Amino acid sequence: MRSSWKIAAIGLVTATAMALSACGGSTQPSSGHDTAVTGDSLTVWAWDPTFNVYAMKEAGKVYQKDHPNFTLNVVEVPWEDVQTKLATYAQSGQLDELPDIFLMQNNAFQKNATNYPQLFTALTDAGVDYTQYSPSVVNYSTVDGVHYGVPFDNGAAIAAYRTDVLKEAGYTLQDFTDITWSDFMTKATDVLAKTGKPMLSGLSKSVDLIMMMVISAGGSLFTEDGKPVLVDNEILGKAVAQYQQMVKAGVFLEVNGWDQYVNGFVNDGVLGVINGCWILGSVQTATNQEGDWGLTNLPKLDGVSSATNYSTNGGSSWAISSKANFGLAADFLKATFAGSTELYDTILPSSGALANWIPAGKSSVYEKPQSFFGGQPIYSTIVDFSTKVPKFTPGAYLYEAIDALSVAVTKTLSGGDAKAALQEAQDAVEFAQQ
Amino acid sequence: MTITALTRPDTTAEPAPGDSPARTHRARRQPSRMRVERRRSLTGWAFLAPAALLIAWLNFWPMIQAFVLSLKTGKGARLNFAEPLWSNYARLLKDDLFRTTLGNTAIYLVIQVPIMLIMALILATILNSKHLRWKSLWRTAIFLPCAVSLVSYSLVFRTLFATDGFVNDVLMGMHLTDHAINWLGQPGTARFVIILGLLWRWTGYNMVFYLAALQNLDYSTFEAARIDGAGPVKTFFYVTVPQLKPMIVLTAIMSTNGTLQLFDESYNLTGGGPANASMSMSHYLYRIAFQNNPNVGYASALSYAILIMVAILALLQMKVGDKRD
Repeated sequence: MRSSWKIAAIGLVTATAMALSACGGSTQPSSGHDTAVTGDSLTVWAWDPTFNVYAMKEAGKVYQKDHPNFTLNVVEVPWEDVQTKLATYAQSGQLDELPDIFLMQNNAFQKNATNYPQLFTALTDAGVDYTQYSPSVVNYSTVDGVHYGVPFDNGAAIAAYRTDVLKEAGYTLQDFTDITWSDFMTKATDVLAKTGKPMLSGLSKSVDLIMMMVISAGGSLFTEDGKPVLVDNEILGKAVAQYQQMVKAGVFLEVNGWDQYVNGFVNDGVLGVINGCWILGSVQTATNQEGDWGLTNLPKLDGVSSATNYSTNGGSSWAISSKANFGLAADFLKATFAGSTELYDTILPSSGALANWIPAGKSSVYEKPQSFFGGQPIYSTIVDFSTKVPKFTPGAYLYEAIDALSVAVTKTLSGGDAKAALQEAQDAVEFAQQ
Repeated sequence: MTITALTRPDTTAEPAPGDSPARTHRARRQPSRMRVERRRSLTGWAFLAPAALLIAWLNFWPMIQAFVLSLKTGKGARLNFAEPLWSNYARLLKDDLFRTTLGNTAIYLVIQVPIMLIMALILATILNSKHLRWKSLWRTAIFLPCAVSLVSYSLVFRTLFATDGFVNDVLMGMHLTDHAINWLGQPGTARFVIILGLLWRWTGYNMVFYLAALQNLDYSTFEAARIDGAGPVKTFFYVTVPQLKPMIVLTAIMSTNGTLQLFDESYNLTGGGPANASMSMSHYLYRIAFQNNPNVGYASALSYAILIMVAILALLQMKVGDKRD
């Protein structure tokens, strides 16, 4: 009897202790930060081991040369998990769990910085020279005129085509450079008739291409003060119509999964890609097609005065968390991603990570001809493209707008009325904002 | 935490009732029935308390917090009580996407649960037959899908039903269709694939419950039925099913509960598409709370809506189960 009492009491006390210790854990977000460089270790979250995780590790090595005691702990956290973790920490107030630096998708930056300002530290005192970045890139991580991020990878949009197959159909890369979308339609339809292959492909539920068209013409899904404009948006309307025309004509192939998408252009099923330049990593996995690819700019929208041949898709920026060792984190970012051509020269050839930091683009590594693309110096070309991208304000509700737009496009493609579908999408975004 | 928990019991355990030497001595000499019973019941409570406390802390306390949260609105973590208090619930009624996801979930529920339970019942009856060979092989084979994680089977189904996937290859190879079917790209077929996945994953699970119940039934009732001239079909409907009724009610409640909370298949298999046509309520909840601009108050209200639906349906099923007695 005695021992069973003891066991019961131990259990009871353990449970109480656990319950009590869990209750006392809430913390207050810190205010103010110290710019002095102290301590010598940083923890970082990034998601792609061959790309941004690798780049961060290389940055650590660069910084270690001047700071021998410095240690960097890069944790691989998938982007979806970064988003979920940040939301959970912010909601629960458990900010102790934050790393010093985390990578954030450019498209999600405004959303997180406006909803959860307690996760971020403003980089006003970090000493980063933002004039050395293109304004369209810095814009993603700027909220109310305050910088919260150091831009990392370049999302400049590119068009890449199979020049060998185009040649058989009687076209050159030049025929697809500086053209409009209606030119593209005519030529792509002809190529389809001659080769039986579509020029482009994309995920059926993604509206990436439509968004790239909108950005290339300086358009947006929101007004300056953040109201959604999906209906009576001339640029968006033209982009949606253009997209549907291409899908119906068969020059754009809709697929259901990423592997299917990559398989398409790697295995001769599709003759080209239009996407952020990070897609080139996947294109170059088709080693047997070396020399058969050519890179150029995007077609531009017809009949829009602000239309250009340049756009962007994706990209990401480094943010310093509110729990960070701010002095060290800021000095580290300033000395590496915002100040080391050596770093960018190292990571470019091995991971294809293109700099947003303009001085890096002038390095000789960027001028090297790439044999996969028939000897074109593609990296300096892309850096040049990226400086010509119109400024785009994503807005905090971009994800809602993209979801709603995707539903509208799917409905229109299966025979629904375009205007009604866009109105529904607009209503959905307005409902989300209420 | 662990250290305090392990050192504390010595102080708390000593003064426990009935443990002081004098009292113990007297109690041993004159055992009073009341005292023994009181002591026994206290011991019982003491054993129950740790688990009960943990359940209250880990289950009921968050539920209360979620309810309070469902009355709040605001951006990010800066939440205030809504004006009026029930505005998140009123918002549910105006939300088109919520209605769509409710409809989708209802379709899964109405089609999948009855088919699954009937199939499970039939399979269990067949497996319970005394004349079947290699019984344990069949039983294992049918139960095995349950050992597969929800995410991995969803991904396998997505690959099988891709436009250039295995299913299309087989269908085209057998000349049942002349072009690849876009299974996950059309509302009807996307829902069909999800239902098929659910059937594959959960039928064996429910079958095991029926099989266990069947093995507890008295075999003489079946013999009696046979002597009275009942065929297998009549035996099934008039002897097996009535005796299994408590188990049928239990599995129906569990399946309803599970289907209303469907998430993994919607998220991983179809991604909710096309055009939200296969998105479940829980998937929408996740989207509101984590993927979009967080609206945690509204997401909590949605979770309470699901809870109320589960409660009502469970109550209905228990009532229906009772009536047949």
